[in-house]
Amino acid sequence: MSGQSSPTFGNLDWEVTPYTDLLEHVNSSTIIGAGAASVLVLGAFAGIALLTYMRWWKPLFRDWLTSADAKKIGIMYIALALVMMARGIIEGLVMRAHQATALGALDKAETGLVAPDHFAQLFSTHGTIMIFFVAMPLLIGLINFVLPQQLGARDMAFPVLNQVSLGLTAAGAGLVMVSLLIGDFGTGGWTMYPPYTGLDYSPGEGVDYWLWAILISGVGSTLTGMNFAVTIFKSRAPGMHLMRMPLFCWTSLCVAIMLIYAMPALTVSSAMLALDRYAGFHFFTNASGGNMMNYANIFWMFGHPEVYILILPAFGVFSEISSTYSGKRLYGYTSLVIASMSIAVVSFMVWLHHFFTMGQSAGVNIAFGIATMIIGIPTGVKIYDWMATMWRGRVRITAPVVYLVGFFLLFVIGGLSGIILANPSIDYQVHNTTFLVAHFHNVIIPGVLYGMLAGVHYWFPKAFGFRLDESWGRRTALLFVGGFIFTFMPLYVLGLMGLPRRSPTFQDPDFLPWMYIASFGAVLMLAALFCLLWTFWKSYRHRMSLSVPGGDPWNGSSLEWSTPAPVPEWTFASIPKVQARGDWGETKRAGDPWRAPDSYADIEMPANTAHGLIIAGMAFALGFAMVWHIWWLAALSFFAITAALIWRGMRVIEPRIIPARQVEEEDRRFREYVAGATPITRADEESERNRGVPDCSEFAG
Amino acid sequence: MTRPNTGELQPEEAPGAELKSYAVGLLVSFLLSAGAFAAAFSELPTNWKVIIICLAALLQIMAHLRNFLHLNFSGGQSREDLLLVMFSVCLLVIMAGGTWYIMSDLSGRMHQNGADHAMERPAASQGL
Ligand code: HEM
Ligand SMILES: [Cu+2]
Repeated sequence: MSGQSSPTFGNLDWEVTPYTDLLEHVNSSTIIGAGAASVLVLGAFAGIALLTYMRWWKPLFRDWLTSADAKKIGIMYIALALVMMARGIIEGLVMRAHQATALGALDKAETGLVAPDHFAQLFSTHGTIMIFFVAMPLLIGLINFVLPQQLGARDMAFPVLNQVSLGLTAAGAGLVMVSLLIGDFGTGGWTMYPPYTGLDYSPGEGVDYWLWAILISGVGSTLTGMNFAVTIFKSRAPGMHLMRMPLFCWTSLCVAIMLIYAMPALTVSSAMLALDRYAGFHFFTNASGGNMMNYANIFWMFGHPEVYILILPAFGVFSEISSTYSGKRLYGYTSLVIASMSIAVVSFMVWLHHFFTMGQSAGVNIAFGIATMIIGIPTGVKIYDWMATMWRGRVRITAPVVYLVGFFLLFVIGGLSGIILANPSIDYQVHNTTFLVAHFHNVIIPGVLYGMLAGVHYWFPKAFGFRLDESWGRRTALLFVGGFIFTFMPLYVLGLMGLPRRSPTFQDPDFLPWMYIASFGAVLMLAALFCLLWTFWKSYRHRMSLSVPGGDPWNGSSLEWSTPAPVPEWTFASIPKVQARGDWGETKRAGDPWRAPDSYADIEMPANTAHGLIIAGMAFALGFAMVWHIWWLAALSFFAITAALIWRGMRVIEPRIIPARQVEEEDRRFREYVAGATPITRADEESERNRGVPDCSEFAG
Repeated sequence: MTRPNTGELQPEEAPGAELKSYAVGLLVSFLLSAGAFAAAFSELPTNWKVIIICLAALLQIMAHLRNFLHLNFSGGQSREDLLLVMFSVCLLVIMAGGTWYIMSDLSGRMHQNGADHAMERPAASQGL
């Protein structure tokens, strides 16, 4: 970056790519930097070539990018998350490989695979990506796909707003991706604490990339929260009382509420930091009355609820699969509802435990420490409820159940290390060590990641019409479990031995054996990622023998299993009238669940629109322009967004009508198929005979 | 105008009334914002400025809820509305009160605020 800023290109010039660094010095660090940029560029080209070669541009645009169907939006969120996850896991492996080669001496320069500054970018992008662009899109995607179907709604309350939220999230993810090729990312970790990230100590574009990615995607997540909440309050099918909702809907409601109240705190802290950096404010600077401690305070007011935003949907998924795969009713429904709600509320009262060591009095620390330990109670209640659900059930060891068992074993360990950390005096000892890194990976991976992958496996047939290969699914799950144990258990030990987190170097050779074990684990995690991709690919190739047109492959009990697979755009041929909790299960118990509705009506669906796409493009341009100080482009895209919103607000938009005849035709065909298919028992679930039509007489739960 | 929260039309009220409610809300919000800026640029003592700005903000929140979001405590949905408002207030009190608690404690221990309470206690215990 040269000192001058040009009016047309802002701070951009030819020196910003990692190739310049590579030309200056050739070493492993610059090679990795340039390699990553090349993977990005080649990947983008390969994607474009593939789309062109297969002539997929038009279907992509028509059927996906402009669709306002919550189910498709959900699938796109998950696709985005999987792409970002590939980058995140590879970065994790690079960091592990670096630390395994980073034993140094105090009187020598740091050694190892990557340079210290590069290492700092790696943990910052890894953390940012994994939280905001992997975990969040996974759970928002899954909720988008599942929630309306479980509620008996046709769509989200605000379908186009939903599309805009997806666009904003993708724009944020795009900014983080572009930072691989153009310029550097910030080095302040995923929390980007000032004053280090203020202008004085981080003058470059790195922190700005983080800020704009967070600000833009944060708006998207807030809007998503509102959309979920309104959908749950206003769009339930007739008879679907709150206490009849499946547990996944309850945890989605908690997530919605928490998104609404927590995301603004992140937007505020980031906006204040942006004002410091762009407009000469002094909220968090060292001088002129700034108070950087308030950043930590506001950030974690978002940050702690955020971790429960991440985990609650996983709890919802585990509630569904523990009941379905053991053929039993969920044990302790009411207690699970109360526990979820308590977690949601109490999680707003504990944020200080992330900065016990900042210097406040012991009394303040104790108050928040106790509040933190209290959260363990509802969480414990849930674990017992799920175990009781499986107790004496007809448990089938499918891939989601492997995830569930892995979750039981590992999440409890992670939760217990959390309770240990909730004690301020212990936190003083292990804060900022890899003990903490082990703790949060220990709850995030077995909790969020396993939960979401289990959910993807469970609902995949609903989305695409064929099951995922169970053997490969189980292998993937086992690799994720094993990989986790090898990667992160050593970090507990290293933390207790005194290795600070985020350290690019260390001097104690005793650390090395543990480092090697952790690196081996990271390789297993990468293998698990490949195994996951292989599962998708293999199942796609065998989609005919895995197909389940009957739509109920696991003999489930919530509404989404009453429709064909893949589920039609309008989901329900006629909106069900809900009589009971687990309505579909009750219908099965009463016999003849697949009775056709008495009459069919025209169905109104939201028309396709490029609105979300336009806003996403403009938001990306706005973020990029602000990062590089290209003021004209920033102003232009800002006004373009405003104009697009006003223009859409002014127009009368006609919905798309699906004629009753078409609905009836497809619905009849589905019902005839079900009537003709042989129902299968649970024992046959994994065999080719599973056509999605279960044996209802077996339905006990 | 639609009944609060239902999307059902309320025939006795014309669209004009709805427009009026929005216009009033806009005007009030504008005046309150202008007032806050005026206070910030005025010569008043800092404490007064803070109080005026906070008051203007609170009133503006109420105007938004009433005129733009049609919050209503007397219609069929009044119980739900009331619950939601109370829940929001509860969380906001936790956040604002918690911040106050934490930041004032920290600043006490940083010897800000003029009075050094935090210093006095250890000194006294030394005397014993
Ligand atoms: C899959 C294999 C993974 C590996 C090998 C891995 C590895 C690492 C490593 C080496 C660090 C830096 C530790 C340090 O500061 O010393 C780290 C940090 C972090 N990881 Fe992971 N990780 C993985 C998965 C995840 C997942 C799934 C998430 C969340 C969804 C996640 C979230 C984070 C966060 C938030 C940080 C903190 C970044 C910071 O210090 O600001 N990681 N990870
Ligand atoms: Cu926390």
